[in-house]
Amino acid sequence: MDDSTKRLLQRLMRRIPTQMLKTTLEKWGRLTAAQQQSIDFTQAKWALTEKLLAICEENEWTAKHIAELEMTYVTENPNQGMWYAFQLMDPEDDAHSVELMQFKEQFKSHLGELVRHVSVKIKKHTDEAVWIRIAWGDSFTRPNHLKPTYVVHHLQTPFVFVTSLTSKQKPLLSQALVLSTRYHAIKDANLSGRKLTAIRDLLMRQYQQVFPTRYPSPLAEENQTVSNPRIEREQAGLAANRCQMACEAFGDGMLPQLQSAVYKLETKFRDHTNKIMTEREEPFRCVVKFTSTNLLESLRHCASSGIASTPVTPLLSSIPLKGRNYFVITDNGPGPSSQMHPSQN
Amino acid sequence: MSLLKPFSKLPGLNTANVLLVESEEQFQQSLADVLVEETAVTVNVRLAKSLPLPMENEESRPRIDLVVFIISLTSELSFQSAEASLKCLDPGYFLGKVCFMVTNARNSSVPPERLDAVRKLAASLHCPLLFAEDQTPDGVTNAAERLLTILKVAAGLVPMATALYLSSLTRCTVPPDVDQPSFD
Repeated sequence: MDDSTKRLLQRLMRRIPTQMLKTTLEKWGRLTAAQQQSIDFTQAKWALTEKLLAICEENEWTAKHIAELEMTYVTENPNQGMWYAFQLMDPEDDAHSVELMQFKEQFKSHLGELVRHVSVKIKKHTDEAVWIRIAWGDSFTRPNHLKPTYVVHHLQTPFVFVTSLTSKQKPLLSQALVLSTRYHAIKDANLSGRKLTAIRDLLMRQYQQVFPTRYPSPLAEENQTVSNPRIEREQAGLAANRCQMACEAFGDGMLPQLQSAVYKLETKFRDHTNKIMTEREEPFRCVVKFTSTNLLESLRHCASSGIASTPVTPLLSSIPLKGRNYFVITDNGPGPSSQMHPSQN
Repeated sequence: MSLLKPFSKLPGLNTANVLLVESEEQFQQSLADVLVEETAVTVNVRLAKSLPLPMENEESRPRIDLVVFIISLTSELSFQSAEASLKCLDPGYFLGKVCFMVTNARNSSVPPERLDAVRKLAASLHCPLLFAEDQTPDGVTNAAERLLTILKVAAGLVPMATALYLSSLTRCTVPPDVDQPSFD
């Protein structure tokens, strides 16, 4: 077993927390029952690493096997690192009937044509997501397994989620994706976050939506934390209205956990008392960033408690509505997102 | 604009009605739960975020004996909301039927100017200023007890004591050196 494979395994062992190790190895399934039994999971991490290196030698595993183990771990624990969402544009007629085998072959062949040495692993997860692990190399070097890119795509949807992609690799990946999914272009969806499940749920609207109704009375009564008949809320109706509007804008129940929203302002400075700033020709550049452990929950609470005025301003409600958390605001309205057209050759 | 009037309705027998006004709508809930547990007197609590109160409840609302403004010193909005709500009270309330309750006064991140401003406001209106601790059940119980003392007098349930008399004893005063810098 060569040095690079050893280093890969050591790196991976550092990444996986001890409590997840047992389940990850079981899911991976390449250890024999005897080997699995022989590992004492209560040992310290370095001892476990030594043991696993020994088993690795025994089974003569290569970098490909370790990469598989890493992929198993990342697939089970996708909420790490920074994920970026992309959207495919302009489908061809048969884009909606692309199925797994076809996509796999096409993607591998297209990427193989673009990059001389590349190691691609494609796996379909239980929840219909297709996971792709790419280790990039070039004409002179072998694929680098230490910095792989992970791509998640749900077939028949135009959404792609990517992590750990450099700007050099971006056009290559885009080209391969566009050709293998039968679309014409791919663009940045302006949505990023640490939790893959959160940005996926936001884009695909997999959380509880609330639709405007004329008679929302069942919801109003749910809010009564007051059980004593001698306590009465004077403005219960207004509170219920605010809550309803907040839920209509953001959704009900558990919301996808976004960590931040960024608004980039390129507007003119507007304050009549400050002549110097208002007379400037160039637009006033400013960046406003909201961060939270659960941003959508905080915004919903702001609206329902009256801190943010209701009806909710489109600046805030377009986060769940358009599924983005990066906005460029110009004087004419929110700016267009960046377009990427890979060249057709 | 509809003002809340103190004497336009008949009182209930052995009943005291209090209105808690708080912009955050947090402390008023726990305070209300403790207030209604009083056994000697029937206490009815109305909760509001700000004044004016909605017209729809005008008929069913009993006579309000005491209006308590709960201000959290950590938020400027809390103070401004209370100040704005004062305009919707009939002047008759300011003869002992209004009380200010302040929370988070011990919080070190609170600017001292805010407490001074609340003090000046309470002093100018001749109202008592109570300090409450809202995070622990003991704090809530203590605040409720003190409030009940004032409430019973304001509702006329204590013989030989009227709200105006009590307020002249308990009203907030501003020390003459309040504008001097404090030792911090």
